Amino acid sequence: MNSKALTRAAAVTVALIAVATIGCELSATFKQLISLIGGHHWIGKSVLSVVFFGLLYLVFSKLFDDRFVLRDTLLLIATVMVSGLAILAFYIWHA
Amino acid sequence: MVNPLILIHAICAELGLFAFLWVLVEMLNPTETRIARAQVAALTGFAFLFFAWLVGGFYYVEVYGLHIKPLINASDAKWVHSIIMEVKEHVFLFLPILATLVLALLYKYDTDLTDNRDASVSIVLLSGLIFLLGFSIAGMGAIISSGYRFALMAGLT
Repeated sequence: MNSKALTRAAAVTVALIAVATIGCELSATFKQLISLIGGHHWIGKSVLSVVFFGLLYLVFSKLFDDRFVLRDTLLLIATVMVSGLAILAFYIWHA
Repeated sequence: MVNPLILIHAICAELGLFAFLWVLVEMLNPTETRIARAQVAALTGFAFLFFAWLVGGFYYVEVYGLHIKPLINASDAKWVHSIIMEVKEHVFLFLPILATLVLALLYKYDTDLTDNRDASVSIVLLSGLIFLLGFSIAGMGAIISSGYRFALMAGLT
């Protein structure tokens, strides 16, 4: 297992969840498209998060060496915080 | 009556979160025995969070969306759904990914974690993040339950 690739795949997947969440609220067509997976937009996002996590790991494991450093984890934590705050700020604005 | 699914969802999620707190404590000063216990804790936590995801998802789509959400949206506490629930249901999706990563790091580095400081500190930080993020989400769940009670007390059915 390539730790760097898995950590970076996690960071990108988290960011994509935030983008998909906000995108679904801004575009009814996009929300409908996501809803085609499992019949509900939340199920669609859940399935896509697993699929993207797996696919991104496969791609990143070809691109990055396995030299795992703490900076990768800090980048992931920063991504989680920014993505979470972006979702919160969006829904406060959107409500 | 409280739907049993929401209880199962909350209990499994909280057990999962405490399992990752256990991982954090074990990894503060890792030894071979502590790493072995952390692996068991992470596997348990991952399983509980995954089950909470399935049960919570089923409840959200089949019960909350049909019966609870319309009442909250018809009440003066509409923000409980439009802000709190929306944030909760989406931020929750970060947890299984983070839990998978912690589990993978624990099993990959195994006893090397006694020497690999970057990996052991990463596991501590990520387990702490899972615990804090998860309990923020649990707090949101409590607010949503209060919003539902508020709607019922306002006479909405």
